[in-house]
Amino acid sequence: MTGRERWWAVIACAGVAAAIAGIGGLLLTRHGTPGLRPAAAAQVVAFPAPTAPIVAAPATAPPLPVAAPAALTIPEIGVRTRLITLGLTAQGTIQVPPTTSVAGWYTRSPRPGAVGPAIILGHIDSTQGPGVFFRLPELRPGDPIYVRRSDGSTVDFVVTAVQSYLKARFPTQAVYGPTPDAELRLITCGGAFDPATSHYLSNIVVYATESS
Amino acid sequence: MKYLRNIGRVALLLVASVLLLAAPAVSAAAAAGGAVGQGTAGSGTAWIRLAHLSPNTPAVDVYLYSFGNPDAQMVLHHVGYGDVSPYLAVPDGDYSVAMRGAGASPTSPPVLSASIRVAAGSAYTALAVGPRSGLRIRVFRDDLSTPSGQALVRVVQASMKHAQVTVSWGGKVIASKLPFASVTSYQAVSPGAETVAVTAGGGDANTAVTLAAGSIHTLVVLDGAKGLEIDNLEDADGSSQLPAGGAQTGFGGTAPRGPGSPLPWLEVIAGGSVLAVGGGLGLRRSRRAARPERAPFAAA
Repeated sequence: MTGRERWWAVIACAGVAAAIAGIGGLLLTRHGTPGLRPAAAAQVVAFPAPTAPIVAAPATAPPLPVAAPAALTIPEIGVRTRLITLGLTAQGTIQVPPTTSVAGWYTRSPRPGAVGPAIILGHIDSTQGPGVFFRLPELRPGDPIYVRRSDGSTVDFVVTAVQSYLKARFPTQAVYGPTPDAELRLITCGGAFDPATSHYLSNIVVYATESS
Repeated sequence: MKYLRNIGRVALLLVASVLLLAAPAVSAAAAAGGAVGQGTAGSGTAWIRLAHLSPNTPAVDVYLYSFGNPDAQMVLHHVGYGDVSPYLAVPDGDYSVAMRGAGASPTSPPVLSASIRVAAGSAYTALAVGPRSGLRIRVFRDDLSTPSGQALVRVVQASMKHAQVTVSWGGKVIASKLPFASVTSYQAVSPGAETVAVTAGGGDANTAVTLAAGSIHTLVVLDGAKGLEIDNLEDADGSSQLPAGGAQTGFGGTAPRGPGSPLPWLEVIAGGSVLAVGGGLGLRRSRRAARPERAPFAAA
């Protein structure tokens, strides 16, 4: 083999090697890297169906006012956070907590334990890693939620539904609208992440009712 | 070094197989943008509450049955005039309400019954109204949304001593000459703390009532021991200001990454193939050029 032949052979071998490496790379791109988070929230729903007759005395006395919420505990997903207060932005949306490690209560919603849906927001993640509501989509109907109030009392809730909504089609009335009983809404982000806007496209909403 | 001649062919095969592989990869990457879960309603829960608003009807036991189930879902014992139960959360479906005299056997025939079909996310009030001789159950679907920044209020006229009552809230008439055993529809009012005034021929009543923004109330006019009474029921409550839409509660640090672009790898493959084909052709050409010079030596 002449020097020239060797030279051509080296080029050809390099080409084949590059092509094979390219195929390897291509095969790798066919599989995305999974997120840290488990799969999106399932559309699970339950209602508190009484198993035995509820014998209740009629009550017409107005409910006593309840204290403001101070802390939130969700044992099932390891959440223990104090609750900060949240208002509205100039756009009319609820303010989000300034850090991703704490949840907040929207102060113009009912206090947890009072009639109506109390609204609590928390981040699913920061740019670096998990936020306080990272595992919120794992909640299932029946899971307990505890809210400690500023007077030291605790009010217990039980999850009734976990839903995922596209932010573009967020059902404002269903989530925030009046209810006849004491309820809780825990809200975080979910679904696909749009790197162009740096926002998730969906919200995860956990519905809970007071279990008393 | 014979196999080197086949390098060009190998490269062509590689290019062809890569194109076959690339097509599904590209389409998979395009499809990854569209899959987002979505739900509609919160849950399948509905609410029912029951009230006894017949002044001359003695106390009753009230039973709520799920359709087709002989076991009562809820039993209210000794419900007297003016008593209103809390809302009971129930799965949506068909129910019946039965009333028996207080203390009567649960298996005895009810003195009055009515059926209710309840829809998920809706609240209902079943009222026993009218005089004892004409007692009936009326079922109302209660509103669960208010106009932005306002409160809703309605009036139930359950005073038998007054054939008609007129009710105002903060000077605004919300029920005019309302006959006994009738119910107004909900009206939107500006929120605040005002005086509710009931006027009827020969009897008036006043009480302070706070209607918060986003709340829904029913005012019940009752015959009391000393004239008219007003019962203020909170039907539902919500945010005093309804937020707009969802919330931006994430920064993407844990977001799943979709499949990467296959383009750079396709370029590598194309480049490699060009090199391989070019190298193979160059090799062949230089061998052909070398052959005539070698032949004489080989023969000798």
